[in-house]
Amino acid sequence: MTPLDTLFILSACTLAVAWAFGRRPAAGGLIAVLYGGQILALAKMSGLASGALTMIAASPSFEVLGQALSWRFDGPAWFFALITLGAAFASAWFMAGEWGEGYRRKGGRLGLLQVALALNVSSMLLLLASGDLLSLFIGWELMSWASFLLMLSAGGVAVRWAFKYLIYALGGAMALLGALAWIHAQAGSLQYAAVAGLFATLSPGQAWTLVLAFAAGFGIKMALLPFHLWQGPAYAETPGPGSAFLGAISSRMGLFGILVVLVHLAGLDLLDRLLIPFTHLDARDLLGWVGAFTLIVPTFIAVRQHDARHLLAWHGIGQGGYMLIGVMQGDALGSAGGLLHVFNYATYQAALFLVVTAVVHRTGTADLNKLGGLVTRMPLSFLVMLVGIIGLAGLPPMNGFVSKWLIYRDLISSGRPLMFVATVIGTLGTIISVYKLIHNTFLGQLRMEHEDIREAPWSMLAPMLGLIVIVFLTGLMPGLVLDWIAPVQAALGLPVLDHSLGGVDLPNGGLDMLWVVGLLFAGFGVGALLFLAGNRHRYVHPLDNYAGGHFLTTEVRYHYSDDFYPGLMHLIGGWYRGSIQWLERALVSALDFLAQWSQAWFRSAQPALWLLGVTVFALWWVV
Amino acid sequence: MNAVVLAVALPLLGAFLTPSLARLSLPLGRLFGPGLLAFCLWLLWGIARALGDATAGVALGGFAPPLGIAFHLDRLALLFALAVPAMVLALWPWGGRPREWSLTLVLAAAATGLALSGDLFNLYVFYELLAVASYGLIAANQRPAAQAAALRYLLLSAAGSALALLGIALVYTQTGTLNLAQLALLAPVSLDGPLGLAAFALLLLGIGVKAEAFPVNTWVPEVYATAPSRLAGLLAGLVSKLAVLVIVRLLLVVFQRPEATQLMLVLGVLGIAWGELAAWRARDLSRQLAWSSVGQLGIVFVAFSLPGETGVLAGLAVALHHLLVKPALFLLARHWNGALEGLRGAARRAPLAGALFALFALSLVGVPPLPGFWAKFVTLSGLFAQPGPLCSLAAVVILTATLVEAAYLFRTLTLLFGPGGEEPRMAPHGALDLGTATAFAGLLLAGVIWLQPLTGDLHGIARQAVDMDTYVDTDLPTPRP
Repeated sequence: MTPLDTLFILSACTLAVAWAFGRRPAAGGLIAVLYGGQILALAKMSGLASGALTMIAASPSFEVLGQALSWRFDGPAWFFALITLGAAFASAWFMAGEWGEGYRRKGGRLGLLQVALALNVSSMLLLLASGDLLSLFIGWELMSWASFLLMLSAGGVAVRWAFKYLIYALGGAMALLGALAWIHAQAGSLQYAAVAGLFATLSPGQAWTLVLAFAAGFGIKMALLPFHLWQGPAYAETPGPGSAFLGAISSRMGLFGILVVLVHLAGLDLLDRLLIPFTHLDARDLLGWVGAFTLIVPTFIAVRQHDARHLLAWHGIGQGGYMLIGVMQGDALGSAGGLLHVFNYATYQAALFLVVTAVVHRTGTADLNKLGGLVTRMPLSFLVMLVGIIGLAGLPPMNGFVSKWLIYRDLISSGRPLMFVATVIGTLGTIISVYKLIHNTFLGQLRMEHEDIREAPWSMLAPMLGLIVIVFLTGLMPGLVLDWIAPVQAALGLPVLDHSLGGVDLPNGGLDMLWVVGLLFAGFGVGALLFLAGNRHRYVHPLDNYAGGHFLTTEVRYHYSDDFYPGLMHLIGGWYRGSIQWLERALVSALDFLAQWSQAWFRSAQPALWLLGVTVFALWWVV
Repeated sequence: MNAVVLAVALPLLGAFLTPSLARLSLPLGRLFGPGLLAFCLWLLWGIARALGDATAGVALGGFAPPLGIAFHLDRLALLFALAVPAMVLALWPWGGRPREWSLTLVLAAAATGLALSGDLFNLYVFYELLAVASYGLIAANQRPAAQAAALRYLLLSAAGSALALLGIALVYTQTGTLNLAQLALLAPVSLDGPLGLAAFALLLLGIGVKAEAFPVNTWVPEVYATAPSRLAGLLAGLVSKLAVLVIVRLLLVVFQRPEATQLMLVLGVLGIAWGELAAWRARDLSRQLAWSSVGQLGIVFVAFSLPGETGVLAGLAVALHHLLVKPALFLLARHWNGALEGLRGAARRAPLAGALFALFALSLVGVPPLPGFWAKFVTLSGLFAQPGPLCSLAAVVILTATLVEAAYLFRTLTLLFGPGGEEPRMAPHGALDLGTATAFAGLLLAGVIWLQPLTGDLHGIARQAVDMDTYVDTDLPTPRP
């Protein structure tokens, strides 16, 4: 039995336990432990991450229709599996105590949630382990259905969005299936080697078709523009820990698919050769720019959200844009940045979703207009959100800064100033919207009804704090993660980044986070010393204050939360014409119209006459 | 080998005896038909085992073909011949009256004959017998809507029979024989013209009525929506497949021409588009399933239109999958009649039925690793392997239609599993219906587990079915002219 078999068996056990006992909150701890066991099983395969091993195969393999189906782990699979299991572990731990009980008390179906989460993890592991395109597609489909189950587990409005996701996901799956069937017809095999061989022999038209089919198929999972409409609400309406898991890693499976098929099998050289007529762009530029617009548009949609969960979920789409840009850069620095961002993003996004869920657990709402001032009641949760948004905004000293820095740096040094500006615009949108998030939730005036709010329980705080420790430590020492990324780059045929514990050392100015963080904390330290030593201060209640000569009372709402950034929104409002929503609706109406038409045919009053007509037509065709 | 005749003769005999037996003792009459069918199943199974990979021709009464009635036994024919008693048994109208039992037995006899027949004349006779039995069964329902549907079916079916007969007449005038093996020898010369193609077009349209082929399928939604679910399952699952089998036999043996397959491909594509689009707006479950059946039969047509072994393999895979899935869905839909909106929360009150419905729907959409996926994959891959834009277009249509199909099936599923009204408006599923559907689900899952031997078998059947030399040599043992 190989270590990969152990991992799969443990994953199946987790699923079985979730199925049998998941509805009981008490079983949550056991399930979290089982996820922990899966992480240990993954640690047994750490040879993949250090580069000592290139592949660990699973024992079972099948042959169907002359196609061998096999599963194995390599560097990329290990890296993505680590993030998957880490996110699942944090989510399961969060669910294990009070949250699960509360969810069940409010009528939520905890068992369904646990099963759906375990199913997601298992199917994603299966997907990551796929050794050929057919098993990749099987894993892909299983994962899509598992995500669907997770999204609709809350019921109510979530079902509508889960359904929308399903339609998008199936559209993507059909694009993939078409591409697979075409490859099978041409190459006679779906083994990676055969597929790579086929890609090398394609005419430009065929290559374009395949590249677009794969990009669309995988891109829909990443919610790349113009397929971005489903993801924000679908993830946001998933029950808290589920949305943390989905937000952290689920859409990155699309990136994994792009990495395996377009980067590894097709190769970036092929994408370079596919020129777009009448422009100086090629397929790789196209994907890069799709990433850039995916970064900008959903991020600014996030600014407009009034619900903390929706705000975060829309950000998830935008952050996927960074990863795609980085990977499409294709050199050591850019691709390392993109891959590192997958890890970094997962850590702080999970923490952010969990802290918002904790706030919802305590206050009953995620509406940004109905919160505020919670820092006095939930200080540790505030800390989690603070660290999380610093990471999300990509500011030092958190890990988000490192990955974004690598991407910025690479865009500049490879001569793409326009795309660099695009990423900066995206980051600007992130900063202003995460400020809105923390301000409306934790800062400002505490509402009367929240006077008695307590800090989140430790069962929920512990995974969140664990996550922000990772956010900080991997920001301080990004070399830890870059060590894992090197085999990923090697396995995908990308150049490997030279790095140190603190970052990268480049000829004209590298990055050493140990120094950056050290200086930052030294500066903070001096400031704190001056503040504490030279300043008399005392703590006051937020209401112990006045404005414009008026004494404030709890009745006066001075916490400015509604209609944030009106100037900005006015400025860019014209750009939000919802043209893609319009397109979506137009497609459905067209389908409805055609359906009506075809039903009319089945209702025709004179079927025999039709038959005669068709016969005459057929005979005419024959003659 | 000659015992195979019993598989046709016994149900026919039983059909005549059943009313008298039922008058004597109702339980006896009730059990008589299923008993006969079980015997036929055992008989055919024995023959299939004995025959193995070989083929055999059976000339009834010792009149050698082309004079006598000839049965052609190969794995394809026996597969469908076995499916007949098995499916009829599974979908036996236990609650019906003796008349229905009789007619169902006639249907079984005719269907077996259709699967085994080795000449065109007998094919037509059995086809007509099948049609008559189905008229009687459909018209047994006294509701006005059912009567209107039955009339529509009757009209179309009769017109189709006339067309088919015309096609057969054309073949006969050109070749002077209706024995398929002889036709296989003569066709390349005598049917290689517009007249031959016209004959195929007529046969395709005529027999296509039962096969739910595109322009002649307007009877489908109303009949399936009003007929008893077991009958709808039989018609959608079994009878349509047998009609397809006839067309495929003709295509393989007699009309091996690119124009013929192209015609089939075009009709199939149109059927997919029309059926799935109409199902998108269906307002009740039975009609939704009926229209989806039209779409699925379109895929069957497209799959069989692929040349050679691939075509037979893909077509068989899609057809057998649909044979299994659609009757089970009809059984489940029986208790979920009325407007779709009224089904809110129905699956929560009937969790097993809901789970089965979900399983079948997933397989129908083609979610791996369920068998429906493999069937679709083989078809798509075969289509893409063909040169020319028409086949690629067909593949794209199948992919798009699958998306539409998934959309409406899962809209229904979310309704079924969603929160619903308080009081259970619908009667619970009968144990018999649920049991049958569960058995079908078991077969479907067995198909996942034994996928490899199954595809091996299908390959073998396909290889044998396209091997025309063996076909001719089996039925015409005398040396060729």
